[in-house]
Amino acid sequence: MSNNLQNGGDEAEFAKPLLVPIKRRSFFMYAGATAGATALLLSGCDDDDDDNNMSPGTVSLGSGDVGVLNYAYALEQLEAAFYAQVISNAGFNTAFPDAAERTALTAIAKHEAIHRDFFKAAIPAASVIPALNPNWGTLNFGDRTQVLATAKTFEDLGVAAYNGAGALIQDPTYLLLAGKIVSVEARHAAFIRDLISNGSFADSTTVDANGLDKAMTVAQVLAAAQPFIKETLNGDNVGK
Amino acid sequence: MNILKLLANLAETNPEQLEQSAPRRAALESLGRFSAKALAAALPFGLATLPAQARTTLTILDSLDLALQLERLQEALYSRALAVTGTFFPADPTFRASVVAMQRHQQQHIVLLTDAIVSSGSTASAPANYDFTGTKNGTQPALFADVFTDFDQFLRLAQLLEDAGVRAYKGQVEYLSTNDFILQTALQLHATEARHAARIRVMRKQRGATVKPWPSPTDTSITVAGKTDIAYAGEDALQQYLPDFRPVPFQLLPVGFPGSTVLTQGVPEAFDEPLTLVQATALLALFTY
Repeated sequence: MSNNLQNGGDEAEFAKPLLVPIKRRSFFMYAGATAGATALLLSGCDDDDDDNNMSPGTVSLGSGDVGVLNYAYALEQLEAAFYAQVISNAGFNTAFPDAAERTALTAIAKHEAIHRDFFKAAIPAASVIPALNPNWGTLNFGDRTQVLATAKTFEDLGVAAYNGAGALIQDPTYLLLAGKIVSVEARHAAFIRDLISNGSFADSTTVDANGLDKAMTVAQVLAAAQPFIKETLNGDNVGK
Repeated sequence: MNILKLLANLAETNPEQLEQSAPRRAALESLGRFSAKALAAALPFGLATLPAQARTTLTILDSLDLALQLERLQEALYSRALAVTGTFFPADPTFRASVVAMQRHQQQHIVLLTDAIVSSGSTASAPANYDFTGTKNGTQPALFADVFTDFDQFLRLAQLLEDAGVRAYKGQVEYLSTNDFILQTALQLHATEARHAARIRVMRKQRGATVKPWPSPTDTSITVAGKTDIAYAGEDALQQYLPDFRPVPFQLLPVGFPGSTVLTQGVPEAFDEPLTLVQATALLALFTY
């Protein structure tokens, strides 16, 4: 395993296999293999499947566990796109003059990109939703206060989404994977909150009088996330 | 606090929680019906596909009891720290305020978990005796000899226990999946613990330690080999597995940050790992007698 990682760490190796074409159906035959064979998986995933689209501009997340995975994938796409924009913004160094803060935000950007691509790889190619287009509205990425407030919104929302969706997952492997991700999101949330106001990591706006972090339903989360996404998401059958 | 009083309090504080009270009661009443056999029947494939972990079959009550013991341990650590007189806490009041907030959450978790266990017709295990120096009441060398005089040492132990608490909850979620309500509650407890763990790490960083809000291969080790290192055993996993043992091909993902640190640092940071009941119990044993 570690050999594969070391080989794959080289930048040239990183990009090369992505050029290999493959028919989508073949992906299932290779999905269990390692290294070179799994490269094909990603090529297979690159094609969006229009079966998901209920009408132009609307994206159905699907049903059952696949629906939950697409739901998580949509939220991770949003977070990843947000942090990618934050750290690539021309005013990043000015908005965040503290190098340690820039390092931490860049680390979070990596985590979210990893989560995003993890879900893309986990969801069968025939069912995965397409890449979504973010809608940042009037958000000023050069403004520390606005960036951190939006980051807090996304991180708290992500945690509440995973907390609420866990019981919708049937496959225990996916449930554990969601558990592995949600605690990292909660750590992000606590860190971002402390950047905004030191000591607000778990205040009463997110942890209730029983010491429970928030849980939100799919409908509640999508209503909160929708303004940031150009496509209309339909999560009516997620987990069903 | 009995269950009716708790529910009454919930009703007073938050209308959303009131809606939860009916299913909560039903869930608690049915707790006792779950057995090892029922769980095994419900999860034949799941148990078979989990990679390289102990295949123990636990009841929901086993999981709740483990959680209760970990919460009590953490609560006792914070209570004793807050009781220290003199200049143990730094002058910046946010340090003490954060420990107060975390202790309050642990107390709330203890009430919730105890209630769930008792309401299911079972009995919560008796609280243990705690020795946070790790000497087991003077019978072996100390692990944290100055835990209540050296604030940084206290923070190291707090980080160890909070990170381990997050991992222990995560290790139990698969055993809770037959009960949606208990599962969601455990996930909510788990997320609060993760916020605590991040906060302790941020406080350590503010005091000059090399540590990130999330477990990272770049963190300076705070463990003793053969003793406390069990808290982080396997935490820096480089690989994740999908159902049917399919490894996630991280080395091929277009993450957008080329270079090997994505694989050697980003991936292990992006996923927290579980602890088994056996591992968590071994860690608990270091500080109880």
